[in-house]
Amino acid sequence: MAQCVQSVQELIPDSFVPCVAALCSDEAERLTRLNHLSFAELLKPFSRLTSEVHMRDPNNQLHVIKNLKIAVSNIITQPPQPGAIRKLLNDVVSGSQPAEGLVANVITAGDYDLNISATTPWFESYRETFLQSMPASDHEFLNHYLACMLVASSSEAEPVEQFSKLSQEQHRIQHNSDYSYPKWFIPNTLKYYVLLHDVSAGDEQRAESIYEEMKQKYGTQGCYLLKINSRTSNRASDEQIPDPWSQYLQKNSIQNQESYEDGPCTITSNKNSDSNLLSLDGLDNEVKDGLPNNFRAHPLQLDSSSDPSNSIDDPDHVKSASSLHETKKANTGIIHGACLTLTDHDRIRQFIQEFTFRGLLPHIEKTIRQLNDQLISRKGLSRSLFSATKKWFSGSKVPEKSINELKNTSGLLYPPEAPELQIRKMADLCFLVQHYDLAYSCYHTAKKDFLNDQAMLYAAGALEMAAVSAFLQPGAPRPYPAHYMDTAIQTYRDICKNMVLAERCVLLSAEILKSQSKYSEAAALLIRLTSEDSDLRSALLLEQAAHCFINMKSPMVRKYAFHMILAGHRFSKAGQKKHALRCYCQAMQVYKGKGWSLAEDHINFTIGRQSYTLRQLDNAVSAFRHILINESKQSAAQQGAFLREYLYVYKNVSQLSPDGPLPQLPLPYINSSATRVFFGHDRRPADGEKQAATHVSLDQEYDSESSQQWRELEEQVVAVVNRGVIPSNFYPTQYCLNSYSDNSRFPLAVVEEPITVEVAFRNPLKVPLLLTDLSLLWKFQSKDSSGKDNEEVKELVTGEPEMIGTEVISEFLINGEESKVARLKLFPHHMGELHILGVVYNLGTIQGYMTVDGIGKHSLSMSVRGRQDLEIQGPRLNNTKEEKTSIKYGPDRRLDPIITAEMPLLEVFFIHFPTGLLCGEIRKAYVEFVNVSKCPLTGLKVVSKRPEFFTFGGNTAVLTPLSPSASENCSAYKTVVTDSTSVCTALISSASSVDFGTGIGSQPEVIPVPLPDTVLLPGASVQLPMWLRGPDEEGVHEINFLFYYESVKKQPKIRILRHTAVICTSRSLNVRATVCRSNSLEDEEGRGGNMLVFVDVENTNTSEAGVKEFHIVQVSSSSKHWRLQKSVNLSENKDAKLASREKGKFCFKAIRCKEKEEKYTFADIIFGNEQIISSASPCADFFYRSLSSELKKAQLSVHAEKQSIEDAVRLIQKCSEVDLNIVVLWKAYVVEDSKQLILEGQHHVLLRTIGKEAFSCPQKQVITVFFGSSSDFEYLIQDHREPPEMELLKFFRPENTTVPLRPSVEQLSNLIKTSLHYPESFNHPFHQKSLCLVPVTLLLSNCSKADVDVIVDLRHKTTSPEALEIHGSFTWLGQTQYKLQLKSQEIHSLQLKACFVHTGVYNLGTPRVFAKLSDQVTVFETSQQNSMPALIIINNV
Amino acid sequence: MAVCVAVIAKENYPLYIRSIPTENELKFHYMVHTSLDVVDEKISAMGKALVDQRELYLGLLYPTEDYKVYGYVTNSKVKFVMVVDSSNTALRDNEIRSMFRKLHNSYTDVMCNPFYNPGDRIHSRAFDSMVTSMMIQVC
Repeated sequence: MAQCVQSVQELIPDSFVPCVAALCSDEAERLTRLNHLSFAELLKPFSRLTSEVHMRDPNNQLHVIKNLKIAVSNIITQPPQPGAIRKLLNDVVSGSQPAEGLVANVITAGDYDLNISATTPWFESYRETFLQSMPASDHEFLNHYLACMLVASSSEAEPVEQFSKLSQEQHRIQHNSDYSYPKWFIPNTLKYYVLLHDVSAGDEQRAESIYEEMKQKYGTQGCYLLKINSRTSNRASDEQIPDPWSQYLQKNSIQNQESYEDGPCTITSNKNSDSNLLSLDGLDNEVKDGLPNNFRAHPLQLDSSSDPSNSIDDPDHVKSASSLHETKKANTGIIHGACLTLTDHDRIRQFIQEFTFRGLLPHIEKTIRQLNDQLISRKGLSRSLFSATKKWFSGSKVPEKSINELKNTSGLLYPPEAPELQIRKMADLCFLVQHYDLAYSCYHTAKKDFLNDQAMLYAAGALEMAAVSAFLQPGAPRPYPAHYMDTAIQTYRDICKNMVLAERCVLLSAEILKSQSKYSEAAALLIRLTSEDSDLRSALLLEQAAHCFINMKSPMVRKYAFHMILAGHRFSKAGQKKHALRCYCQAMQVYKGKGWSLAEDHINFTIGRQSYTLRQLDNAVSAFRHILINESKQSAAQQGAFLREYLYVYKNVSQLSPDGPLPQLPLPYINSSATRVFFGHDRRPADGEKQAATHVSLDQEYDSESSQQWRELEEQVVAVVNRGVIPSNFYPTQYCLNSYSDNSRFPLAVVEEPITVEVAFRNPLKVPLLLTDLSLLWKFQSKDSSGKDNEEVKELVTGEPEMIGTEVISEFLINGEESKVARLKLFPHHMGELHILGVVYNLGTIQGYMTVDGIGKHSLSMSVRGRQDLEIQGPRLNNTKEEKTSIKYGPDRRLDPIITAEMPLLEVFFIHFPTGLLCGEIRKAYVEFVNVSKCPLTGLKVVSKRPEFFTFGGNTAVLTPLSPSASENCSAYKTVVTDSTSVCTALISSASSVDFGTGIGSQPEVIPVPLPDTVLLPGASVQLPMWLRGPDEEGVHEINFLFYYESVKKQPKIRILRHTAVICTSRSLNVRATVCRSNSLEDEEGRGGNMLVFVDVENTNTSEAGVKEFHIVQVSSSSKHWRLQKSVNLSENKDAKLASREKGKFCFKAIRCKEKEEKYTFADIIFGNEQIISSASPCADFFYRSLSSELKKAQLSVHAEKQSIEDAVRLIQKCSEVDLNIVVLWKAYVVEDSKQLILEGQHHVLLRTIGKEAFSCPQKQVITVFFGSSSDFEYLIQDHREPPEMELLKFFRPENTTVPLRPSVEQLSNLIKTSLHYPESFNHPFHQKSLCLVPVTLLLSNCSKADVDVIVDLRHKTTSPEALEIHGSFTWLGQTQYKLQLKSQEIHSLQLKACFVHTGVYNLGTPRVFAKLSDQVTVFETSQQNSMPALIIINNV
Repeated sequence: MAVCVAVIAKENYPLYIRSIPTENELKFHYMVHTSLDVVDEKISAMGKALVDQRELYLGLLYPTEDYKVYGYVTNSKVKFVMVVDSSNTALRDNEIRSMFRKLHNSYTDVMCNPFYNPGDRIHSRAFDSMVTSMMIQVC
């Protein structure tokens, strides 16, 4: 229970004071009316005695009365109507609100810090009013009139006559049976005659004389002359006189208003108030019935009685509120006591004192004595007599007494003069004059009597007062008998059904218990009295109980909160909205943020509703907002209800201030950082066979790897454009900004090109949300081209379509708990700075959902307009020390694009672009470039990581049919029909790599697009042929193209267009080739530079059922130094067919060709009757492209080899190198949809080293290289980090780290090529000549480009195991060792003689040839070339 | 047969709360929340003297018109609150005690789950089904 201003010891005596009636003549009433006061009111402020009073008790002991107060009231002949009292109490409570600046005290309990108002003035005024308005009842006498003041005016014609008339009137009221009300204490009431004299108007002399007359008639003790109205009202303004009435009257204004009227009028006014009350009740019912939800019954359920739609339209509420307001206003306007001076105040005070001292107290004293005497005289007798009679009469009835009868006895009424009542009367009198000892003993006695008689009402009253007086006894000789109170309350409530008395009892008892710090008992008491019959009372008591809980020694915070909620609920039912709101707010402190979301939501919801009904819209909005934005565990229906309420309130808020800024809406959530911004038009979908470049779109997921690739591509092209360097201010173009992109700079947008913002919404609720008229909110600063001095930037906010067009999405539905993105567009029409601020939309719910809830279709299809800002936090900065130690975020300028001038815009379409290819297949497609902007564009280039994939044809290319339709059935190659005679020999042509666009610096990836004129004019379109070659690897390939172009204007602005092509390749052929030296020297012009090329072609295509067979149509060579000369082993089947899994082998002879600087010689060997000109597009293009990509790898490997390796080694290595490149051209016959197609393609094999196999398929090459020499291995490590098996290889690496300083044997053996020339068989007549001499020519040819010293040793060595197996032996004759020096590419022949003694087969390959570079004498003593066996047959003739 | 079962963290926020009938969920939430005051009181009343052999079962916290609220507190100050229909006279103190013990065991299992973050709301199917069984079973 909250602290009260009064202590209990003051409160209870003040609540029970001697009552005095006042009966005024009309004239007297008129006099007091001048002050806007009735007589009773006039006395009210002075009704407390300032001095102590003494009186004697029946035992003649002196008794001191302190602070005695008397209550004077006009006689009202009707008992107060319970309805009127209720209304009065209601008004009193609603009129008393917590002060604005009230300092709430903070209570800390556990982890709760609560702000709780210490006092509850509304409760105190309720209690005061309640106690005052208690109707007098028969079983107690505390508020019965003890005395009556008869007031007449001196101005009356016959004042004395008037007095006697009044006296008669009083007598009539008291004793006539017509008037059951008011109650009088004892039959002979004290009459006190008061003569009012108006000083300003009346004749003082006359008054005095009348007073004298009165004194004579009624005695000096029984009358008084009261002089008032000493000043005329017009003088009023001079003096400032305190207005002691205000504090009394304002509070009770309504009560007093009633008492202004006289008797008959009172009734009508009562009736009025009755009807008012009825309507109030009716309203209550109505509200209850009108509940939208069916769970209204329980107080814990959501408070729906305050449904805004109901209560707002309720005229009664408004009326009652406004009437209260009016009366208040009226009261404040009237100055009470305007005709009274301070002396008059003193006179009144003195009058009261005089009345009490001389009139009232002696009367009381006398009455007490009389009663006491009566009691004492009757005591001995009565006790026995009464009990005897009772036994006598009731004895027989005892067994029949049932519970019913017991209850009936509560209705027992004693006659007014019953002796039991006399003792009660005495007790009450003693109590009134604060003689609590005596009162207690009397009450105690009375209680016993009543209990004996089973007069329960009387007994309860006695018990109650006994307890109170026991408590109030000075020195407290006995403990407070709380059980008396409990019994009394129970009796009042359960047996007598008198809630008013029970309530009084509870109020007193709780207050007493509280003063003894028995808070929990007090709380229990208070809670027990809450019932259905009075919401206001229940509310107040619950609130007090809550205060009790918080005031306990260990505060029970949660109980406090809970009871506050209950109180709030009851308050709201009682129509006390403000109090209800206050209670809920207080309870909220406990529940807030503690995880009790269900309860929290409920409270918030109620707060929202209450605030709304009280027109505290902001609070309402925030409360509702709270429910919605928290992760709620409410059911969908509940959430729907919350949402509707919220929208309703919001609508009202926005209607109040239609011009105000748009409110911020809490729903749906926006994931700001997921916002993506896209600049440019939407991509058109593929249009027939035209396929637009994919470019960038919002549909693509961000992929850091690919974005890095794009960035690299762009850097490459920019580097090429800027002659090899990337300008420092270069930043990669970003068309789509997201949380991964670099958003630290203002992005550029182009006039007339749309800006699309993708906003990620999430609906946390379980109910769908409907956003309508969704659009972006922006601010625009136009860059005025006309005047630069005009510094003032024009700021425009949404709604200027001529500046920035805004797309509006008319309906956007988000289902419950769904995440959804909305794409919103802006169309900038002017240059300037744009700031996208947020989104604006109407938030609403779906109508269909409403009807489910049963509220009705018509209702709440409403929506409110509001906005939500997009605020994106940039990345956290982490560069400087300061940034590292503090938490700082960089800017994110995603939403602040700068609108720049027009730029060209390119669209690229691909026509006949395949999706699937065989490996190595050549396909011709067309590319269409369209300039869709209003600016010409130039400098079109395309970059790709896979330049070997496509070509636009070289410069020399004779333009093939330009339109795609014309080329439908044409071969992709340029062909020439040949006659079949020249089958075996190669056709030679030559071309330079420069012609094929691959020679541009170090960036072969950047390919300029050969536009007919370098500029593409606005609206113009160009179609270019484009050849594609299926990548050699099988699988799905994503190939990125980056088209680069710029504006023709001075400051070329870069624009790019991206395309990702997806190609699926399937296996076709696998080509393997080796080259080896030819030992024959028969070709003279080759000067020993002959080689044999073996080409193995295998059809590896397995899966494709459609592919029937492959035909090798042509094998071409391409090299700077070598060319194919002819096919060697051509078998009979000329067409070189390869069915599935078939393998074919070709052998060609290659010769050196004439040196032509930087030109490649192409030699074609044809197997069909058509020559594909391999030196022309597209064959040569792809060849060069694969060559350059191969070269790139080779460069890497060169880098890998240390420069420190001496030139000599390189020289030696070089002589085993060839640079012969084989191009295998094929046709595949494919059946597809029962149509035969011919596909063409080419494979490249780059032969680098003699004797080593080379593959067309790179994967296989990797493996062979790995098993090759260690230097190759290193290259492998360097170039192929990605494949996992390579990682494993690293384990072996340390063993191989020793770079061979010496060239390998194999390499060295390639320095010198040897061949022996001799007759295959030699006939010799051994019988004639036993020695057979055979001339043998040893040809030594130097393959390297340096001078080589050669030592030929003919001494036979038997170490060679093969030599041993040859039967017999021979010897070389003549010089056995030759030292020679061979110049570069020189061929030297040595004439040797072999001598045989037997017939047989001999191996002549015994000469050992040592070679070394001539300038490196010591280092490289070479080993012998392991030459083939050279067998000779010696026959005997 | 329990009507509402709640597990409250040491810091007095709900870890788990489930009730039947569900339409009165709010009421049970309030009831459980309010009962925490009594739990606190009982714990502090038990004082330091009985720290070692403290009885975890707190007994009847408070009766309302329709329900009885029982409490139980673990050594780590996690509270179990059970609301029982007061019309069900079959439920004696012993039954309640054993129900709490079951609840405690199940809670311990939840805590032993390495993927459970202490302090999070309990979303355990096993725990859920155990509570359901306690709500359904008429013992």
